[in-house]
Amino acid sequence: MDYDVVVIGAGNGGLTASATLARKGQKVLLLERHNIPGGCATSFCRGRFEFEVALHQLSGLGTPEKPGPLRMTLGSLGVMENLEFVEIQDLYSVYMPDGFTTCLKPDKNQTIAELKEKFPHEKEAIDNFFDLVYTYANDMIGAFIFRDPEPSRDKYPNLYRYALRNAKEVLDDYFKDPLLKTVISVYWGYLGVSTDQLSFAYLAMLLFQYIEFKPFHVKGGSQALSNAILNVFLTAGGRARFNCGAKRILVEDNQVIGVETDQGDTIETRYVVANISPMETYTNLVGKDLIPNNTLQEMNSRILSNSAFTMFIGFDCEPDELNIRESTNFLMASTDISRSLHDRMGRVDIQDELMVMSCYDISDPTFSPPGTCQINLVTLKYGDPWLTIPPGQYHEAKFRCADSMLKRTEKIFPNIRKHIEEIDIGTPLTHMRYLGHPAGAVYGFESRTKDSFFFQPGNRSPVDGLTFAGGWVGDQGFEPTLRSGVSAAKSILRQMNS
Amino acid sequence: MRKGIWQEFDGYKEIADEIELSFEAGKERSFDRQLADQYLGRLHPKELKLRVVDVIEETPSTKTLRLAPVDALLPPFLAGQYIPLFAEIDGIRTSRPYSISSQPKQTGFYDITVRRVPDGLVSNFLMDQVKVGDLLDSAGPQGNFHFNPLYHDRHMVCFAGGSGITPFMSMIREIVECGLDREVTLIYGNRHLDDVIFHPELESIAQRFDNITFIPVIEKPAKTYSGACGFINAALIQEVLGDMQDKTFFLCGPQGMYDFCLPELESLGVAKRKIRKEMYGPPVDICDYPGWPSGINPDKNFQVTILDGKTIPVNAGTPLLVSLEKEGIVPPSICRSGECSMCRVKVLSGKVFQPAGTPVRKSDTRFGYVHSCVSYPLEDLEIML
Repeated sequence: MDYDVVVIGAGNGGLTASATLARKGQKVLLLERHNIPGGCATSFCRGRFEFEVALHQLSGLGTPEKPGPLRMTLGSLGVMENLEFVEIQDLYSVYMPDGFTTCLKPDKNQTIAELKEKFPHEKEAIDNFFDLVYTYANDMIGAFIFRDPEPSRDKYPNLYRYALRNAKEVLDDYFKDPLLKTVISVYWGYLGVSTDQLSFAYLAMLLFQYIEFKPFHVKGGSQALSNAILNVFLTAGGRARFNCGAKRILVEDNQVIGVETDQGDTIETRYVVANISPMETYTNLVGKDLIPNNTLQEMNSRILSNSAFTMFIGFDCEPDELNIRESTNFLMASTDISRSLHDRMGRVDIQDELMVMSCYDISDPTFSPPGTCQINLVTLKYGDPWLTIPPGQYHEAKFRCADSMLKRTEKIFPNIRKHIEEIDIGTPLTHMRYLGHPAGAVYGFESRTKDSFFFQPGNRSPVDGLTFAGGWVGDQGFEPTLRSGVSAAKSILRQMNS
Repeated sequence: MRKGIWQEFDGYKEIADEIELSFEAGKERSFDRQLADQYLGRLHPKELKLRVVDVIEETPSTKTLRLAPVDALLPPFLAGQYIPLFAEIDGIRTSRPYSISSQPKQTGFYDITVRRVPDGLVSNFLMDQVKVGDLLDSAGPQGNFHFNPLYHDRHMVCFAGGSGITPFMSMIREIVECGLDREVTLIYGNRHLDDVIFHPELESIAQRFDNITFIPVIEKPAKTYSGACGFINAALIQEVLGDMQDKTFFLCGPQGMYDFCLPELESLGVAKRKIRKEMYGPPVDICDYPGWPSGINPDKNFQVTILDGKTIPVNAGTPLLVSLEKEGIVPPSICRSGECSMCRVKVLSGKVFQPAGTPVRKSDTRFGYVHSCVSYPLEDLEIML
C-alpha cells in the first residue's frame, strides 16, 4: 500500500481529516488541485490589501475560560498555538434605508434589552422568543451533544416541538412587527436558506452559539487557519501534493483500492476521504454504475444551494471616516420574509436583497495596512441565472450588479465611493470557476428542514473505504466543516480497527 | 433514512412525506458540472489555441502578432488585460504574459505586440521564428489593469514606457472605435523617437478625437526634435494636465519608470487610490533591487531540493520559477510578475529574496509560501510543489 489514506481536497474538512489521521500515525496523502490549502478558507491580494474570501464570524470557538466545541477540536489538533483569534465585539447590526438601525451584542441580556428598546411593543414576545431559543438549544445539547441514551418528550419538550418547525412560522407565532422578525432572522444569510424555508432549529442554534461562544475572527484571515492545519499535518509526517487533483477513485469489489491523480499516476490505498461533492465523487471519480440506486436517488433529491455575489473593497481611510462602527452589518431594504426572499436570489440583478457587510478592521485594526480598511460585501444569488448571460456581456453584468450594491451601501455609508482604492468582484461564475461546484453553490446542498442535521446521510458512502468530509455531507460554515473532517478521520480509524 | 428520536418529533410525518416526494422528483445532475465547465471555458479557458494570422512590423524592434482562435470563440476581455503564451523553446517549457493591444469589441482576433528583449528567450522566439500560420498555446485573458467604471474617473491619464503602451492601445482603440464617453491623456516615454510603437496611429487618433491627447516624451532625442524630452516629471505632468483633480492615473512600463514617476505624482498631491500600476515582469537586475543582501553575487550557486523529487542547481540571480523550468519542472504560471499567485510554492527550509511589495499574504510569509516567479534563492532550499 502506498498510503493508508488519500484525502481528496484540502478544504476545511480535508485538512482536519488529514491532520487527525496523520497525528494518529496513519500514512496520509493529501491531494489538492489548487496551489494552496483552504478551499473557500482563503484570501487573495490586490494592491496593498489582502482580501478575506469566506470567513465572516467564526462560530463555536468560545473563550479559553469557556471553550466552545471548535476550540476543543482545534486544540486537539494542536493548531491553537499557531493561531491568534480575535473576539468580535458585536453580534451584528442591521440597517434599513429609512434610518432604522440596531446593534446587537453577543450577550443575551444586552441583545434582549436592545431589541426591547427598539421594539417596545413586542417586549414580552422578545423575552419569550429568547427563552424558546435557549431552552431549545439546551434540549438539543442534552439529547444530541451529550448523547442522552434515553431522550424523551418529557425531558426535552421544546426539542420535540420545534426541531422540525419552520423559522418563519415560529417568528410569525411570536411576533407581529415585520421589521423585528427580519432583524432576528438575518442570520439566514449565513445558512443560505431564506427564512420561509429555514429550519427553526438552525436559526436558534446559530443565535445561541454566537451569543454563548461569541463570534471570532482569526489574524491573517482564514488562510492562516488553513496554513496552520496543513503545517500540523506536514509536521506529523503527512504528504501533500498541490496543483494535483484526483481523476479516478479506483474500486474493486466495492472496496477502494487506489486513486489515480490528475498527473496520471496511481496511488494504492484502501481509504479515501472525499472533501469534494458527492456528485463529483460518484459521477466522475467512482463511476455511477458502481453506486447503488438509492444513494444516487438521495443525492439527486437534494437542491443545490445558492452561490454569492461578493465585493471586496479596500479603502484609503480608517473605518470611522466611512462611519463604519461595527464588524458585521446587515443592510436590509425590505422586511418581507415570505417566499419572495428566496425568489430574489434567482435574479441576476441586485435590488432590495439582504446584504452583509463585514469590516474586519473593527475588531482587528491590524487587518489592513495602517490608514486603510476593507469590507467584504456579499449577497446570496443562485448561480444558474448567470449561465444565461452571453459571455460577451458578462463584465457588463458584473459591473452593473456591483454598482447596484455600492449604491445600496452608499445610502447607509455615504462616503464610501470616494475612498475606494481597490475593488474586486466575485460573481456566482467566479465561485463556479474556483470551487468547481455546480451552480457555484457555496453552501453545498441547501439545508432546508428536510435536509437538516437529523436527515443528512452522514459521511459514510456505500463504497467500502470511501468517506466524506466537508459541507456537502453535513452542515455548512467553518465550524461544522472543520469538525466534519475530524469525524471522517475517526470514522476511518474505526473502520480500520474493525 | 436513518432512524432516531426525530421520528417522534412534531411535524415528522410532513417532513418524511417531503423527503419521499423529493426522492421521486429528484433531478439527475451529471451534466451540471459539464454545463458550467463549458460556459466557463468561454470566459476563462484553461487552454486556448491561437493561430498567427498576421505579423505586423511596428518598429525595428517590435512586432504585432495577430492571433485568431482555432476552434472556439475568443473569450471576452477588458481593455488592459493580458493573455499568457506558452511555448517550448530549446527544450524549455515556459510562458510569458502579453497585454492585448487590440480592443475588446474586436472579437475576431487578439493582437499582441512584442518588443525584443536582449537575450529574451520568448521575445526572440516570437520575433524571429514565429510566422503566419503557426499555432500558439494560450489561455483566457486576465489581469486587474483595466478601467473600472465603479470608481475610476472618466479622465484617464496614462503613463506608458516602451512596450508598456500595449494595454493603453487597447483602451484607446476601444474608446475611439466604440465612442465611449471617456477622456485619455497619454504620456508615452521612449528612449529614441524610432522606438515609439504605434506612433502614426496614436498621432492620427489624437488629431481626430478631442478626448484623446497624445504626448510622446523622448529621453534621448535628436537635436532637431521639438517635442517633450527627458523623463516624465512633475513639471511636465503639471504642464500637460493643469490640475490633478478628477483624474485616475495608469502606469505601465519598466520598474525604472515607476521609481521615477510615482514620487513625481506624489509631489503633485495625487492620492494613492488614484494610481493604478501594471506589473511588468520580474526586475531586470535583481541585485540592484532595494533590499538585496549585499555580498550575494547573482551567479552564486545553490541547490534546490524538491520534497519527494529531485535536487536541481540554481543561482541567486535567476527567479526560482525559471530555474525550475530549465530542469523540466513546470509549475503553473501566468503573470510572471509576482501578482497572480499561480506559481506559488512552499519553501520548507532556506531563504529566498522577494522584492518588497510582492503581493503575498500575511500567512504566506509566516508559512513559507512564495511566488516563485519573483523569488531568488539566497541559500540552499527545500521546497514543496
